[in-house]
Amino acid sequence: MDTIRLYIKSMRMLMKSQLQYPASFLMQTLAQLVMEGGEMLAVILIVDRFDRLNQWMPGDLYFFFGLMSVTFYLTEVFGRGVTGAFPGMVRSGQLDTLLLRPRGVLTQTLCSAIDPRRFACIAVGTAALALGSRLSRISWTPLKGLLLAESVLFGMLLILGLFMIEAVFCIYSVKSVELVNAITYGGRSACQYPIDIYARPLRVLFTVAAPFALVMHVPAAYILDKPLYGWPAWTAFVCPLAGAGVFAVMYLVFRRAMRHYRSTGS
Amino acid sequence: MAFIEAEGLTKTFTVRKKREKGRLLREKTRVKALDSLNFTIEKGELVGYIGPNGAGKSTTVKLLSGILTPDGGTARVNGLVPWEQRRQHVKRIGVVFGQRSQLWWDVPILDSFDLLRDIYQVPEADYRRRLSELTEALRLEEFLRTPLRLLSLGQRMRAELCGSLLHGPELLFLDEPTIGLDAVSKLALRDFLKQENARHGTTVLLTTHDMEDIAALCSRVMVLGHGRKLFDGALPDLLQRYDTRRIITLRYDGDAALPDLPAGCACAEEGEGYRIDYSPDQIPTAKLIALLQGAGNIRELTAQPQNIDHLIAAMYREMDL
Repeated sequence: MDTIRLYIKSMRMLMKSQLQYPASFLMQTLAQLVMEGGEMLAVILIVDRFDRLNQWMPGDLYFFFGLMSVTFYLTEVFGRGVTGAFPGMVRSGQLDTLLLRPRGVLTQTLCSAIDPRRFACIAVGTAALALGSRLSRISWTPLKGLLLAESVLFGMLLILGLFMIEAVFCIYSVKSVELVNAITYGGRSACQYPIDIYARPLRVLFTVAAPFALVMHVPAAYILDKPLYGWPAWTAFVCPLAGAGVFAVMYLVFRRAMRHYRSTGS
Repeated sequence: MAFIEAEGLTKTFTVRKKREKGRLLREKTRVKALDSLNFTIEKGELVGYIGPNGAGKSTTVKLLSGILTPDGGTARVNGLVPWEQRRQHVKRIGVVFGQRSQLWWDVPILDSFDLLRDIYQVPEADYRRRLSELTEALRLEEFLRTPLRLLSLGQRMRAELCGSLLHGPELLFLDEPTIGLDAVSKLALRDFLKQENARHGTTVLLTTHDMEDIAALCSRVMVLGHGRKLFDGALPDLLQRYDTRRIITLRYDGDAALPDLPAGCACAEEGEGYRIDYSPDQIPTAKLIALLQGAGNIRELTAQPQNIDHLIAAMYREMDL
């Protein structure tokens, strides 16, 4: 409870420091809006060419895009410490400062950065979700609403977990490893489309290793009243837990890695 | 049991070199930052910790504050092993890195302090009392609502000190706290540290290259070189061994020539006068002055010991650091 209070307080303070430079903040937010708007436009253009992709109608595809966008950028706003700031913190030695305080390193990492510019992307994502929901005529029930929230929440844990792979590499080698971006940013780009349009190796990758399919696509199929790849309906509620699994595993790995942390010069 | 006990502390870093041409693998060298270091520090002591760059001072501080885990040896601070009971341990210590800020850059320092209170879970009443005490002693009132980035270096260092002492640590590590400070700030900082030590019995381990800091504050010095402890004792005792030379600068009326000086005196022209570097063991000062006086009318003469940095440099040279 106390940790959550600390997190909220930190976030409020970081927001305040971001707003110290209002012009820069506004410009960057605008840039993000254009960027994510462009992504959305790309999807619209693609969808416009085909009138369906496998079993998926245009509205469904917007829904997938929106779900990924909202989840991914919520993670980037509130988990900026892990998704962006960590390599720099290792290199500059700021990680040492965190170790000097009586709190967990991961907690403090999460408390040390926020990226409110990404709210622009979340707005685009939300618009896509709404558009998809309208076009596909989703009949919303409380259960579906709950499932959407569950999917977003565990999706955030999954994405945090994947970014922690990079963090772990940083602890060992101080350098940041761009290769890991293949499954974080790559995963976002690939999995904003339903998983069944891909070939088998990619399907395995995004189901077993980086289970975006379990966390987002199965619940999305349930919400869109499509068959769940042959699985019973209740699996839609269980599959997202895979995100928590990835996060838990990476948390343990992260803790082990911190024992090998070697700091940088004074 | 002593307050800080370090026994056989060893830490090795692996340094990877750039791959040489024609070689498949990069060469790795192992550098011993600390080589079985032993020492104890009692509660309330003010200890200076010196040594050339790369001697292992910062590594010691990082081990004792729980940031790093040693490869060998043990240490206990107030009964706790820093790297094993990190969270409990860091509640009782404060660390100030001269070149690394622990406060938040863009927010008023009062907000930073406020967040630190939450991080350390300091009870509100203690926090209020401590904050007013520290802001007064460090003269911080007028900057409390100023963002850190707008403060001068001296003001910033005072803010950092305040931040690291808010939770009332029993042990304070200072890593080059006076680096880049002007004379007034330096003196104020030293006074503050003395006062803090006297009032709360805070144990202080001070790492610095500024010998004046050590001379003003520390009753005890430890010298570190190549990861080993080379000296542990009072500063005057350390200096005595190397304080073997004196310097005379003089200027004659008109242009009298210097007399022939005995062996062991080094002489250099300096402006319109001379600078003579000699050893009182070889030629007593009075005798040398008499000799100099014979050559002409002396208008100006000063005799002084070598400055402390030269002594330390001589010591490092002799110890082959």
